[in-house]
Amino acid sequence: MLVGLAGIVVAAAVGFAVFEPVQVLPRVRVAPGFGVVDQSGAAYTSEDGRGNVTVYAFAPTTCGDQCAAFHDTMRSVRRRVVAEVDLGGAGFRMITVALDTAEPAALAAAAAASGADGEVWRWVGADQQVLGDVVGSGFRVFFDASDPAAVAFDPVFVIVDGAGVVRGEYRYASLVAEADRLTRHISLLGDELRHSTGAASFLYEAAHVFMCYP
Amino acid sequence: MTSDAPAESPTRRRRWWPWLVGGAAVGIAAGWLVVSLARPHIYAGTVLAASSQAPPMTGLVYEDGAPVDLEALHGDVVLVYFGYTHCPDLCPAMLSTIARAVDAIGSGRERVTTMMVTVDPQRDTPELLGAYVAHFDDSFRGVWGTMEQVRSIATQYGVYFENGETDDAGDYLVGHTATLMLIDPDGTLRIVYPVELGSGDLTDDLVELTG
Repeated sequence: MLVGLAGIVVAAAVGFAVFEPVQVLPRVRVAPGFGVVDQSGAAYTSEDGRGNVTVYAFAPTTCGDQCAAFHDTMRSVRRRVVAEVDLGGAGFRMITVALDTAEPAALAAAAAASGADGEVWRWVGADQQVLGDVVGSGFRVFFDASDPAAVAFDPVFVIVDGAGVVRGEYRYASLVAEADRLTRHISLLGDELRHSTGAASFLYEAAHVFMCYP
Repeated sequence: MTSDAPAESPTRRRRWWPWLVGGAAVGIAAGWLVVSLARPHIYAGTVLAASSQAPPMTGLVYEDGAPVDLEALHGDVVLVYFGYTHCPDLCPAMLSTIARAVDAIGSGRERVTTMMVTVDPQRDTPELLGAYVAHFDDSFRGVWGTMEQVRSIATQYGVYFENGETDDAGDYLVGHTATLMLIDPDGTLRIVYPVELGSGDLTDDLVELTG
């Protein structure tokens, strides 16, 4: 009898791990704590992101065609998440971290050119020492702004949840089509947030245990 | 139109019910078995993937001037909190919560190190920090560094802090992220606890990790 029960338990566990009835985004690590300035000249801190799902991107304020596709993805994600995704009461924000300046006027110009509205999506900046800690060490994103006119950087998107935990990192040259993946993953996060209490929360915790990641 | 297939009798139709009831009973028993024997522990905080070591605290020192070496603490559970001695509410509340939790785990407390890293290195001295945290529990450690050192390390732990306005008496508050971090015995930054953490929940987690 016990052997039979143990077999059922093992089969259920294997079935959960194989068929992944629920998928979750991994809780990768804590996102860095920081304080920066935004496109309006106001302070923006990591604490302002508490309770919000936030998509971070990292780019210089001007980088031509390379940034055009990058910003296209941000615009597409903003439009689709706002229209299609239920985050269970959590807010949604997008932050582009400027890698070359902390001047609000330059940030505002970049925001206007990229379509960042200053509400859902804003540009922020900080001095190079802070950026080194926050972007380089904290978000683990490569950039080299020793020549402000030709900033080298890896196009990266990062999803951070409302508890300040990194839930997704996307390290590739960005195209508009990749907005699909970001939107789908934010939707998964929304599913988890909506089921964060009650019996269903155990199902989602089990999904973390069995690493049911997309 | 006629059929040669024999009609299913009521008795035959009812015969699968015992199997259904029996299957449900076995399923419930299996669930009970998992819960009672395996007893999977649900941690009170956000459990991070075991992917990276806790950021080192290079340059920071304990209240006695000794350098903080997280690698030397491998095998122990380390609780890290960023606070300051002039903190009016959140820090004393969190340190009291930790003190109660550590006190409740009995002999396992030998394997728990609690440290408060100051976010106010201008007013907090190592000696002041040591006396402050010892007020909550003799085993607690105060950790000090320069503003630049603390800022850089706090960033890696997801902690932001900033000084508030200075009043006429020269006092000020320091706004800071008030989460508690747990580093597991493997040296991985594993759990992030919210400020609302209860001591009983923390006790359960510490027992699980030090048991």
